[in-house]
This record gives sequence, structure tokens and C-alpha cells, in this order.
Amino acid sequence: MAAKRESPRLARIQELWLLACAVLTLAPDAEHAPAWLTAAVGMTLAWRGAIWWRTATLPPRWLLTFLVAAGSAGIFLTYRQFFGKDPGVALLILFLALKLLELRSVRDGLAVIFLCYFLLLTHFLNAQGIEVAGLAMAALVAITAALASLGHAGRSAVEHLRLSALMLAQAAPFMLVLFLLFPRVQGPLWGLPVDAYSGMSGLSDAMSPGSISNLSLSGEIAFRVRFEGEIPPKHILYWRGPVLRLFDGRTWRAGAQQEKVSPPDTATSGAIRYAITLEPHNKHWLFALEMPDVPPPGAIISREYQVLAKTPVRSRMRYEMRSHPDFVSGADESGASLRSNMNLSANNPRTRALAEQWRRESGDQEAVIRRMLDHFRQESFFYTLTPPLLGENSIDQFLFDTRRGFCEHFASAFVFAMRAAGIPARIVTGYQGGEHNPVDDYLIVRQSDAHAWAEVWLEGKGWLRVDPTAAVAPNRIEAGLASAVPAGEPLPFLVRTDISWLRQIRFRWEAVNNSWNQWVLGYTPQRQREVLSRLGMREPDWKAMTAVMAALCGFLLLGLTAWALHKRVRLDPTVRAWNRLSRKLARIGLARRDWEGPADYAHRVALARPELTQPMAAIAALYIDLRYGRLNGKEPRQRLRGLIADMEIAVPR
Amino acid sequence: MQAVASFKRWLFRLYGPEAAPIVLNQRRVYVLPTRAGLVYAAALGLMLIGAINYNLSLGYALIFLLTGLGLVALLHTFRNLVQMEISPGRVESVFAGDMAHFDLQLLNRRKQGRFAISFKLEGGRAVSTDLSADATTTIGLPLPTRRRGWLHPGRVTLETRYPLCLVRAWSYVEPDMRCLVYPRPEASAPPLPLSATGESGGARSGKGTEDFSGLRTHQPADSPRHVAWKAVAREQPLLTKQFTGASAVQVWLDWNELPPDLDIEARLSRLTRWLIDAHAQGLAYGLSLPGRKVPLGQGARQFQDCLEALALHGG
Amino acid sequence: MPTSPIDEVIRHAGRIVLGKERQIRLALVCLLARGHLLIEDLPGMGKTILAHVLARLLGLNFHRIQCTADMLPADIIGVSIYDRNSGGFQFHPGPIFAQVILVDEINRATPKSQSALLEAMEEHQVTCEGETRPLPDPFFVIATQNPYHQIGTFPLPESQLDRFLMRIEMGYPNQAAERELLAGADRRDMVATLAPCMEPGELSEFQGAVREVHVSEALVAYVQAIAEHTRRSPDYETGLSPRAALALLRAARAWALIDHRDLVLPEDIQVVLPAVAGHRLHPASGAPTVSSADMASALIGAVPIP
Repeated sequence: MAAKRESPRLARIQELWLLACAVLTLAPDAEHAPAWLTAAVGMTLAWRGAIWWRTATLPPRWLLTFLVAAGSAGIFLTYRQFFGKDPGVALLILFLALKLLELRSVRDGLAVIFLCYFLLLTHFLNAQGIEVAGLAMAALVAITAALASLGHAGRSAVEHLRLSALMLAQAAPFMLVLFLLFPRVQGPLWGLPVDAYSGMSGLSDAMSPGSISNLSLSGEIAFRVRFEGEIPPKHILYWRGPVLRLFDGRTWRAGAQQEKVSPPDTATSGAIRYAITLEPHNKHWLFALEMPDVPPPGAIISREYQVLAKTPVRSRMRYEMRSHPDFVSGADESGASLRSNMNLSANNPRTRALAEQWRRESGDQEAVIRRMLDHFRQESFFYTLTPPLLGENSIDQFLFDTRRGFCEHFASAFVFAMRAAGIPARIVTGYQGGEHNPVDDYLIVRQSDAHAWAEVWLEGKGWLRVDPTAAVAPNRIEAGLASAVPAGEPLPFLVRTDISWLRQIRFRWEAVNNSWNQWVLGYTPQRQREVLSRLGMREPDWKAMTAVMAALCGFLLLGLTAWALHKRVRLDPTVRAWNRLSRKLARIGLARRDWEGPADYAHRVALARPELTQPMAAIAALYIDLRYGRLNGKEPRQRLRGLIADMEIAVPR
Repeated sequence: MQAVASFKRWLFRLYGPEAAPIVLNQRRVYVLPTRAGLVYAAALGLMLIGAINYNLSLGYALIFLLTGLGLVALLHTFRNLVQMEISPGRVESVFAGDMAHFDLQLLNRRKQGRFAISFKLEGGRAVSTDLSADATTTIGLPLPTRRRGWLHPGRVTLETRYPLCLVRAWSYVEPDMRCLVYPRPEASAPPLPLSATGESGGARSGKGTEDFSGLRTHQPADSPRHVAWKAVAREQPLLTKQFTGASAVQVWLDWNELPPDLDIEARLSRLTRWLIDAHAQGLAYGLSLPGRKVPLGQGARQFQDCLEALALHGG
Repeated sequence: MPTSPIDEVIRHAGRIVLGKERQIRLALVCLLARGHLLIEDLPGMGKTILAHVLARLLGLNFHRIQCTADMLPADIIGVSIYDRNSGGFQFHPGPIFAQVILVDEINRATPKSQSALLEAMEEHQVTCEGETRPLPDPFFVIATQNPYHQIGTFPLPESQLDRFLMRIEMGYPNQAAERELLAGADRRDMVATLAPCMEPGELSEFQGAVREVHVSEALVAYVQAIAEHTRRSPDYETGLSPRAALALLRAARAWALIDHRDLVLPEDIQVVLPAVAGHRLHPASGAPTVSSADMASALIGAVPIP
């Protein structure tokens, strides 16, 4: 065995399989890889295809070495590093493409196959939806078929594909067991490169004109909610996110957050219980219905009633919450904290003047608020996704000139005006509303449901929610974005409400997707413990899981072994009966020799055990008629079985 | 080395030639991952680390599916070999230096085929074959021969990596076979001693040499003297008359008549050459060796008997 | 119990050819299966008597051909001689024109004569001077050869051996039989006193009945397994041909018939196997030379009944 064995050369059909596999695996990468790499790989594949077509010779070694060096240098120049998700994937793509250029022996073929498997995994870095899984599955069948073709060049493509599908189907139970029971470790195992979570969208902790309306163009799902009991009415569905109180004249920012130390205020009745499945957004905050009382494990609730996780949310997470929609917070707010909600930037003089005027004219603070809302309602303000650009004094411009804006414009102007009128006010961002999916009874909240509203602090009452957008476009709150914006504005396709059959399909698809997210993608260590304890494992620690996993895999292997050893025994029932007779007589040492004919056997048995002469002769005669004569049918066969069963053999002591 | 060999004998149950048919039951089929299989496992490990690091739930699923695939491949490879039935087949005698072919009968009772199974005799070349469903396949295993006498092929190594090259299943069988190896005919031997004196010399038999024995279809190389012209006259196709006993010369091939300076093998080698020549010329011949004498005779059986005597001389 | 004329034949023949019931049965099987019989043994073992007895008991006419090296085909088939009275050639049939023919020491005849005889056996007709003459029916050849003295003989080539359905050996009689033989009357005189046990035409009825004996698929599979085994096994030089397998079935049918059965059992195959396969199988080179009986029992033991 020590002797180095020459790996057999590849047949042309095997090369074709490998090429097809590589193309299939590399194709989805075109979307994410740098453009130059995509182009280079495409050319390499075309070149390799031409070599195959013309049965030309492969490029020399020095050229390959050069190509590897050049490609690696290109990747380094693109990413400025080799470590990390994107450069790693790029290197894999490069190696796979170049390996095809030195595809000579079966060993090279195996290397290509393994690279393909690896690349298949990297596709999940970008997306893990059902459709991605389906595509990966198809690719897996093809790659495995190619691997099978390496094992045997002579069989047809259909046979390879069938074998591959069969083997993967047999592997599926193992996958299920391992998936459920393999002790999960919460990643990451080491510090991730900075680029790991690029490309996640969601609210940020800063708001400037246009930031939320941009987000509203996305139909992506922000989170899903499952309520215990009825879904509350829409006007209650304010999902609280970052609270912004610092204003520099253009952009609102959140201040430093402090944990709320006092125990949760649970005085009010009518608590709503629900569970949220939050899509990753790479930020600390979690969303909750106003106002949450107890933070989920690993999170806190701040003084501003934001729920904050200890680490950024980088994978889909599920948490349970309880909220009190009637609760009004901040009755005991300190003066210092209130002062931080009074700061005003120096600009926007017209608004300040107007607010000053209202304060003077109105008796109390509530009147000022009403005045402001009436102003929005009575003057010709428009709610639109495409507001005009604003300049230096953005709030002045909006309130007096353009009068067209999205929720962030209204909230921002309102809060500014309130502060100018001497009322503590702040901006709350988050989501409003959501869409009920009748298929699985989840409430789906999308990025397009992103919203900004205001809170004002009134002496003796606390922080009260005021939604200026509702004054301008009450539909936004009651019926969602689509009915609030004027017709003709660009909306995410999925948010449009005017195509009902499409909605139906969408609901179903999203229900499937949701369970996919819940059960497949959201199968985290916590979820695993939950599921296993629900399945009856008392203490699902890693030892118990491993033991159960090994046992189940052992069972599966046993089953497969039985399948592998299964012999096809479809004997004539007459012969089966005859064999039973032999087994019966074997107890007294008179088993039939396998070359012994029936008459001889009967004779031998009769000689050895004269008392068996009679039954043996009858059995042999019937057997001979059935097997060698013209007798046929069910009845005589049953008679034979009966005779054999009835034969009594005295076993000597 | 001795201990290793005996351990191997114990481990693989190698107890000498086995009675046919040899059924490869599950106890004698061994499976281990190939180097590619180990690389596959290592790649899966690497992929698992990646999946954990990036929390790729689908990545876990993929890796576990591929793990399952590895296990399934193990059983598929095992299944490809197990329950095959092997019986020894024909073995043609050969001259030393030629390639002996040991035929094996491979019975596949399964409804599916078995694929890419390679067979190898120690010292021989590996031969690979597919077994079709529910059928017997014959395969010839080549083994170079060096010495005359009985050649025992020893054990056959059966091996398969089908279907995924990740696992190697193998088994050893030792079918009860042997091949009679005749001495190598001398390359440039003196001519057949037809004119030797005494009883060992050639003698004309009293029989007629032109006994008509039958007709066969004419071939272009046949002498026109032997064409059955009568048949042609009856408008039958061209036929050639065949004769037996065309040359009933007797030759005694005698060990003791050979030059005394030849050693045993050289003598056997020369006698073999002469025997082949005598048989080719259709002579009647006998063979005399120390301790063995084959009486005068003719034909295939006589030829075989003489060759056998030469092959087994002194053994 | 004997009811069938065949049983009568066996009983009567057994009185004269002592202790050779098996050989008598096999000879009958051969006859019923329309095959020919080759007896290999030393002279004086009762070959001639057996042939003669069978002919008498079956009511068939009997000729004997003693083969010699100088015998010509015409000596067997017959010649056309110019007849001065009629003014034309008249065919004088040779000894082959009989229902039972004993060809003594067939290996003494030249290949030319052998092949003339064997052609006639195969075709059931002879062609002489352009004219085809049918041979009588039934036509049964019993040939004998002496396997031990081969000097100056022409052993039958293998292709010709195949023409014989069976080859049997007579073997020495056992002690009791031999004593009875020595004490009893002259066998030739006893043959002369025999009366036929069968009506003319009855024999051909039996021959027809052989074809009616049922052969099941399982039995065909058994015969096939035997043939397959001989073709694959390293113990044999060449395997049994399809013709040999057919012969085996034919003989087994006849054996079943004289055993009063209308179906063939594996045991029938096993009984006729040494006689049918013995001369068609050759042990491979290097294998020890064994009797056909030993070879057949090894073969039977190696093939399980499916």
C-alpha cells in the first residue's frame, strides 16, 4: 500500500461532468464576486470548455502558477486582505476555476468536487432562503452525480443522477438527526472580520430627512410577530425602536442609554403577550410594542424604554415580550433628563418664532400641541415618499415652503417646534403597523413599515405619544403605507395591496418562509434546547445530545446495513415448504442434501426413521406432483404445507 | 515480519484454499475510507467550523447531509462487494514465461449490478469488471509464470471504491485453483531426432498413408491434388479430401539420449520443444523420462500427457 | 406387479444376463429414447448376449457386424451388383439393414468405415450410389469397443462419440451371478428359446410415449444447472454441449417411463448421467483420470437441485 499509486486518468465524460458541476457551482457567485473575478472565471471556463471540445492539451504548469499568483494578487488588491468572508470566497472561486485547468487524473477530479462542495456552503453566506436551499440541493445532486461518475466512467448520466439522488435521500435521515441533535455552538468562534455583516438593512440610530423614506422602499421583512390571542388594532401597533433626542439642525441622534433600574411598572392592565422573530440588522436594539415591561434574557430596557441586546443582532432571533399599550412612562422624569430633551440647535428661526408665538397665545402645553397638529391638518401638507430635498434650515423649509414630506419630516418638525415652545419632546423611530398573514397567523412587519413619531412630556402625565403623520395622513396608521401615499409613487412590489391573488400567494409563500426561518434558520442553541426538552429530553446538555445522536445514527446505519445485506429470496412457495420440511428433519439429523432428489430423500428418511415412512411418502408424492408434475394451484400447495406442518417428529433425547 | 503476517492471516481469516462457491459474507468484507475519503472528512470539518463561525444554519444542514452521504457511501461500497459468489473457473495450462490466466466465475444474485470491482492476484495485474444483475460473469486474472510445475495463484484481492471513491471495500479469497505450467520450449533447439538409430529412431508404420477420411469445404491454400473433383463434376461446391495417417512416423523422445552436459531444466526445455514439433508434424511419439514413460501415441491427449509428464518431472 | 411389457423384457433379460439389471435398463432406455448405445468393456463380458437378448425379447431382427481393419463401407451398407438376369444393377443390402445391430469392436474399423456407420446411425438412412434408402424402424445400434488394447486401432473421435446417446460398461458379474452363470445352461441356447414379449408396433408406441413424459421447468433448470456447471468448472476440459443436455433429458424421460412415471424427477437425471455424460466429459489436464461413474457422482454432488 505504501507504494505510490498512479491515479487513473480522467475519461472525457468525467471531465464534462466536472466542468458542468463547476459551472453550476460558480454561477451564483457571479452576483457577489468582484466583477473582474467573474469575468476571469468566465473566461477560464470558456477556455477549459474549448480545450475539452477540441481535446487540446492543458496549459503548462508555469502558466498555472502565474495565474494563481496573479489572481491572488488581484484578490489582495481588491480586499486589502486574505482573511475574511469575501476574500476567502474569492480565493475558493479562483482555485476552483484554475484547478479545472489542470484536470488530469481522478485525484484532480476529487479536488474539484470537494471545492464545489465547499463553494456550495459559501453561497449561504449571502442568503439562506428556501429558494437558495432548493438550488443548493439541485447542485448537490449534480455534484454527487459527478463524484459517482469519477467512480465509474462507463455508466450513463441518468444512472449517475439516480444513484446520487438515492444516496442523498438515504443521507437525509442522518442530516435530520444531526441537525436536531448536533450540539450547537453559538458562533462566532473568533473575532469576525469587519465585513462580516455588511449588507444588513434596518433602522439606524440617526435620522435625517430621507433616511426612513429610503428604507420604506424596501419590502424586506424586519420582524414577525406572533400574538397570544388577538392581534391588537393597528393604532396600537407602534413598535418602539431607537429614541432620538440630540439634534444638530439636520440629523437626529440617540443619546447615551441608561438601564432603567426601577422594577417594571406593571400597574396597568391589558398586557399584550407576543413573540417576535427579528431579522438580523447588526444593531443592539430589539423592537417591542409600546411599552415593554420585562426585557428578554440577554437584554435590558433603557430609561427611554428601548429594549437593547448586549450584542448586535447578527442572526435571526426570537424573543418573547409583554407590553402595556396604555402605560405612560416618565411620570418621575428628572429635571436633568428633561433638559436633555429641550436642546435646540441654533438654526430654523422661523419655526422657533412660530412656536414662541403659539406658546404665548395658548394657555397650556396641550393647547400648543393641538395647535401644531391642527396646523399640519389644515395647511396643505402632503405625505409623500419622494419629498423635495431640503437645505440648511431644513425644518423651516419644510414647514413653510415645501410642505411635502414623509414621517421623519413631520416628526422632526413637530419635535423641534415643541421644544421651541418649551415642551420636552423627542423622536421615537421604529415600525408602525404590520400585515397579518392569515395563513400562519403571524404579523409581518417590513422595512416599509418603518416609521418615526414623537413623544412629548407633560407635567403630571409623563411621556405621551403624538404621531404627527396621523394628522396629515390618517390612512398611514389605519391601513398602511400603500393607501397613504398618492397613487403612482414607487412602492415595494410586495407591499402593494391592489393585486389580491398576488397577496394570497405572497401570504402563503411568507408563511412557508416563516416556518423555514423559525425551524431551520432559527435553530439556535436556545431553540435546540427548547425543542429537545419539548421532545422529552430532560437535560439536553451536549453529552446527552451526543449520546442520543450517536444512538440514532447507529440505528440508521443498522437499517442501511440491513438494506445492503438484503437478499432477494423469492422462492416458489412449494420449494419454501419443501425447505421447511428439510429444516424440520434437520433436528433429527436428516436434513436434505442440496443435490438430493425428492424420492431419494423420502427413501432415506424412511430408512432412517421407519415411523415416518407414511407421512414422508405422502409429502414427497405431493411435492413431486407440484414441482415436477402438472399439478398446480393454491389448494394442493396448502395441503403440502399442512402435511409438513402436521408431521410429528420425535426428537430423541 | 512473521508476526505481522500471522496477524494478518488471523485478521483476514486466510486459511488456505476454500471450497467453491466462496460467498463473500459480511464478515469478510472490510471497509475503510480512502485517502480521498479522509480529505472529504477533513473538508467537512473545515466547513463545519465555517458554518459555526458564521452561524449558517443551512450550512449545518449541508454539512450534515454530506456527513450522511459519507456514511451512505460506506454502505454502498460495502454492498457492492458483499454477497458476491466466487467460484474458480477454467485454467489453461501454459508454457513457463507465458501469462497464466485464472478464470473466476462471479455470481451476482442481486437485481442490481455491481460495478468497478477490481481483482488482483499477488504478483499479477489488477483486472476491473462490472457484474450485471442476476448473472454470472467470468473474469480472467493474469499471472506471469516463471517455473514449470503447478502454479498456485494464492489469494485474490477484491477491491472496490464504487460509487463515490471515498470508501474502499476489500476482501481476500483463496479459490482452490492451480495451473499446470509446462517447461519453456527451448528457443533454438536442434531438429527433431527423426533419424536416430535403434528403437528410439523413427520408423515407418506399415499402414497406408493416404487413407481418405472425409471431405471439408475447400480453402484457397489447399493443394489442388486434394480437391474432390468428382464432387465438382456433380455441381457441388469445391470440397477438399482429407486424409489421416498421412505420415505415421514414430519418434521416441528419450531423456537419456540427450547430451550429458545439459542440466535438468535444459533437457526438459529441449524435450518440450521436440514434443511441440512432433505434435505439429502429426507424428506418433512417445516420451521416456527417468521414472516415467509415456507410450507411443498421437493426438491431443497424448500431447497433453507428455507435456504433463515434462511439467511435473521430479516434482 | 409387472404389468407392462417392458417389465417383462427386463425380467426375462435379467434371467439370462445375470446381475446386470442396471445395464439392461439403460440399454432399454437407449432404445426407447431412439438413441444408440456404446458398450466399453473387455471381451466376454456379455455384450453380445445383451444385444441378442434385447432383439429377441422385443421381436426385432438382429445383425452383427464384426469390425476389422480391412472392412470397407460397402461391407456395412451393401453393394449394387450387376444382375445378369434382370439386366440391371441390384442392391444387395448390407448387415446394417436390421433393427438391432451389434457392431463389435468398432475401434478396429477404419475411420472411413466408422464414419459410414455413424452417418447411417445419425440419419436413419443410407445413401448408396446416389440412392437414399431408409433403414428399418426401430433402428438400434449397439457398438462395443475394447478400451484396453489400442495398438492398431482407430479410437472413435470425440465428435463421433457424441452420436451415441450412452456409453456404459458391463463390468464383472458379482459372485452369486457368476456362480449361477457357471452352473447354468449355455446362454446362447437360452437366447434361442426366448419368445418376444412385445407385439410389433408396441415398441414404437413406447417410443412415442417417451416424448409425452412431462418435464417441468424446475427439472429443466436442474439440467441447465448441470450443464452450466460443467462449462464453468475447472474440473472439465470442455463442458456439456446443448446436444448433450438434450440427450440427458431424453434419456431421463425414457428412464422415467420404464419406471412407470409420467414425469421426470431429478433422480432420473442422476441415474442416467454417468451413461450419458461419461463419454462427453473429459477431466481437465492434470486432474486424475477417474471412471465416468466417479466423475458423474462428483458432478451430481456439486450441483444443488434448484
